Amino acid sequence: MALTAEVLGMLSFTLLTFWGLATWALVRTLRQEGRKVEILRHQDRMDTYSPQALAELREWIDAHPDDPLADTARERYNECVETLRQTDSHFYDWSDREIANLERL
Amino acid sequence: MADASTKTARAEWGTRFGFLMAMIGAMVGAGNIWRFPYVMGDNGGGAFVLAFLVLLFLLAVPGLMAEVALGRYTNKGVIGAFREVVGRGGMVGFGVIVLLVNIALMSYYSPLIGWTLYYAVHSLLFSFTAAGFEAEPFMEGLFANSALMIGLHTVVMGSIAAILILGIRRGVERLVVYAVPALVVALVIMTIRGLTLPGASEGIAFTFGVQWEFLLRSETWIAALGQALFSTGLGWGIALTVGSYLREYDDVPLGGGVFTAIGESSIGILAALAIFPVVFAVGVAPDAGAGLAFVSLVQVFPEIPLGGVVAILFFVGFFLATFTSGLLITEVSVTTIAEETRLDRTQTVLAICGGIWLLGLPSAYSADILDFLDFVFGNWGLPLATLAIIGVIGWVLGPERLRLLAVNRNAGIYVGKWWDPVIKYVIPLVMLFIMGYFAWDNFREPEMIAGMLVIVLFPIIGYAIMSVLEGRGGHPDAADVTGGDD
Repeated sequence: MALTAEVLGMLSFTLLTFWGLATWALVRTLRQEGRKVEILRHQDRMDTYSPQALAELREWIDAHPDDPLADTARERYNECVETLRQTDSHFYDWSDREIANLERL
Repeated sequence: MADASTKTARAEWGTRFGFLMAMIGAMVGAGNIWRFPYVMGDNGGGAFVLAFLVLLFLLAVPGLMAEVALGRYTNKGVIGAFREVVGRGGMVGFGVIVLLVNIALMSYYSPLIGWTLYYAVHSLLFSFTAAGFEAEPFMEGLFANSALMIGLHTVVMGSIAAILILGIRRGVERLVVYAVPALVVALVIMTIRGLTLPGASEGIAFTFGVQWEFLLRSETWIAALGQALFSTGLGWGIALTVGSYLREYDDVPLGGGVFTAIGESSIGILAALAIFPVVFAVGVAPDAGAGLAFVSLVQVFPEIPLGGVVAILFFVGFFLATFTSGLLITEVSVTTIAEETRLDRTQTVLAICGGIWLLGLPSAYSADILDFLDFVFGNWGLPLATLAIIGVIGWVLGPERLRLLAVNRNAGIYVGKWWDPVIKYVIPLVMLFIMGYFAWDNFREPEMIAGMLVIVLFPIIGYAIMSVLEGRGGHPDAADVTGGDD
């Protein structure tokens, strides 16, 4: 029985989508892990938020200053800001200008 | 009693790969091997794949991110994580629901692992390719032999206890980093063997043929929904527990969400490619469940060249898939009980495994009891556990807080605001729908009545237990340490 183009197309799509995506995620996360290990070999801590995620955390803290978890959020924000200022290698794509513009809360 | 000084540091995964394989090992179980391929072929093939993919990204990926993040945020097992979110009191009992469901699930899953162990051993003895072998009487003989079934159940729980006693890193991680790749390799070799057989294309056409009209049928979406939620183990406490052992700078959403959901589904796809070309090449009718693994496939092996070796690959791989799931399901209770009591890890493992062994005796004694419990907990118990975990994140902790404080912290991918309503509204509504749908579909059946009892009694039991325990301060000071090997 010869397979139709539709069946072959769906087989290819399924393999690419599932195995392709799973392989991409595995390789990406393992490479990121390698980079984190490399950074931590030279310094004892590392930035914990991407610029976008840190900006969103800041917005949330400003909007919810009395939230029960606001102190934890502030701690995490400040921890990231301090680390960015005090370390040379960063995991996320931070520019010097972005770091200079950050302030502790 | 545990020496308080030993409870000072919590275990962690030794490597990123170890964490990822633990997630996959936990989530890939019998359903991926003996259910997914048939459900896929029976529900429109490619059309089912599309429906499944949509639901995977809409529900399973965000849900797993949430559950892993809760474990990582609290660094606690199920009950500790609930306490951290809801505060001390009876409401912590909703964590007990998850624990009870896990113990119930493992009580009937252990005998099932015993079946796969039995077939794996017989594959190594080349029983299936021996002259005069008959698949159906062989399977019926196993199910009718209660002593053998109980013996297998005992061996399985004993083996799980032996590995769990070694701890997270020296026990669980050391096994899964080999077992999961071995399962994948076994299925790949079986796929190559199957695809090179004459007539294999019919199996491919059955599984991947596209019947678009199935996308308009509610049954397709219900089947895809069940597969997306149950196959990924969302909300069973496993992802929470595995996530609680993450290291300081580990990512949650890429590994715990995307890779876990897509990776474990990929193994289901691979199983379809490994099984149905072989089944169709020999002209055996496709099936699902025990009928597929223990009858159809077993009939196929003597008919194909190198069938004895293919049988070894399949059944050893199948055993590894179920065993690693059983290991992590049991770890949920071990982690939690070790934290909540003054027992050390060894004592906890022995108590939990002993308890599960005892509760599993009826399921080991009778496959009918196992089927009944599987139906009741699969349709109502597990969705209830999912509802408890996702409900506490969505409605008490708040998805936005968790996303900002844990999901996007050290993350490999950024998770945006779209995630919040999925956790708060979509997943809880879907779980309520599933429970309601199956109740309506099995109205007044004994399974439905048992399911309703689970839905009503488990929360009451959980609330009552924790009200009493929390009220009298039965929570030890050194409660946040488990894992056994750090």
